[in-house]
Amino acid sequence: FRYTRNLVDSGNGKFNLMILCWGEGHGSSIHDHTDSHCFMKILQGNLKETLFEWPGKKGNGEMTKKSERVLRENQCAYINDSIGLHRVENISHTETAVSLHLYSPPFDTCNTFDQRTGHKHKVTMTFYSQYGERTVC
Amino acid sequence: LPAGLSQWFPALEVLDVSGTGLAEMGTELLSLPCLHTLLAKNNRLGGPGSLPKGLGQAPLARSLRVLNLSGNRFAEVPPVLLRLRGLRSLSLGGNRLHGIPPDIQELHSLEFLYLGGNFITAIPPELAKLPSLRYLVLCDNKIQSIPPQLAQLHSLRSLSLHNNLLTYLPREILNLVHLEELSLRGNPLVVRFVRDLTYNPPSLQELAGRTVKTRNVPYAPSDLPESLVRYLSLASNCPNPKCGGVYFDSCVRQIKFVDFCGKYRLPLMHYLCSPECSSPFSSASQSSTSQSESDSEDEASVAAHRMQKVLLG
Repeated sequence: FRYTRNLVDSGNGKFNLMILCWGEGHGSSIHDHTDSHCFMKILQGNLKETLFEWPGKKGNGEMTKKSERVLRENQCAYINDSIGLHRVENISHTETAVSLHLYSPPFDTCNTFDQRTGHKHKVTMTFYSQYGERTVC
Repeated sequence: LPAGLSQWFPALEVLDVSGTGLAEMGTELLSLPCLHTLLAKNNRLGGPGSLPKGLGQAPLARSLRVLNLSGNRFAEVPPVLLRLRGLRSLSLGGNRLHGIPPDIQELHSLEFLYLGGNFITAIPPELAKLPSLRYLVLCDNKIQSIPPQLAQLHSLRSLSLHNNLLTYLPREILNLVHLEELSLRGNPLVVRFVRDLTYNPPSLQELAGRTVKTRNVPYAPSDLPESLVRYLSLASNCPNPKCGGVYFDSCVRQIKFVDFCGKYRLPLMHYLCSPECSSPFSSASQSSTSQSESDSEDEASVAAHRMQKVLLG
């Protein structure tokens, strides 16, 4: 019912390599990357990435969009907290999308942001499957 | 579609003609008795001959389970499509639909309905009559309000409403006990408390309807025109537990904010059957408000906590 995160490799604890599967219309929230490097490669379909500025100290206004782009098959993107925050979405209503993500060091919590107010909320990220096995929560 | 398709492949179960530039699908479809999945996305369908006329009588009407017509040019849901009684999954994403026909309720086996990326402005309450609907996608449309009757979709697990024109949600959305996901980003949801809105006095039809319902006046389909039988079935219960009233179109509306798992405050529209309805939600009853208002807020919050993944940010 929403995009799935499927862990492929955890590289001796130094990184997480995972595959994300996006159905039609699926999108993520605006999120940060908990001081880690984040690489993303599109394996199938297209994903729209919208970059946002960090909300101001007041955190009480609409968040500022920095830029947006559509990443095509085989394109790569990189982000970390000093670059900003982003939202990733499959805006297609006809095609699914698949992306490969590398996070180093690995992290399992991040902050999600409300675009209307800039308020942040810490969330724990879960995996739909790990090493090919469905994760039961 | 090539003529003689059903002669060459009489046992065909899955047919994928996506991305072939197809502008119409004719009678060749009608004699495929085993076909359960038809994928025809990204074509040029949408004009008059898109689906064959005899569809309602074909074996297909009972055997087809999955139909994907996304990425075509449909400006309306073709009426003949609504005869596919066995349909479980329907996608019309990325077309040119301006509305959803009330007869969508005929597709009673429907579990998955994808209507994202169209120009839909309103949702007919009849959509709520689909008893098995689990996954409803209405994102990227022009929807301004959600009918409270949608809360009757007891099987609904996932509701996608992002990128529409919603300013509030009906309070009844909290009644969807199985709803696990609700996406709402990209809607101009009000953030400030909105004072009581104008009240349109009920029509005679509404008053008669209310009396029939609250006094349990018996009626049978043979007693009334079909349109009135349908009207009576769309009654909504006044959310005030002390009031046994119902309403149809005329009600008092006020917006209250409800916390979802401490994350987001969503504006929910509370409908009361009349200004005289003494309600814990009413801002008019000032004196004993604090206790009863917080009670009703708590009750709403508890219901909201059931929704695990409200995707707003």
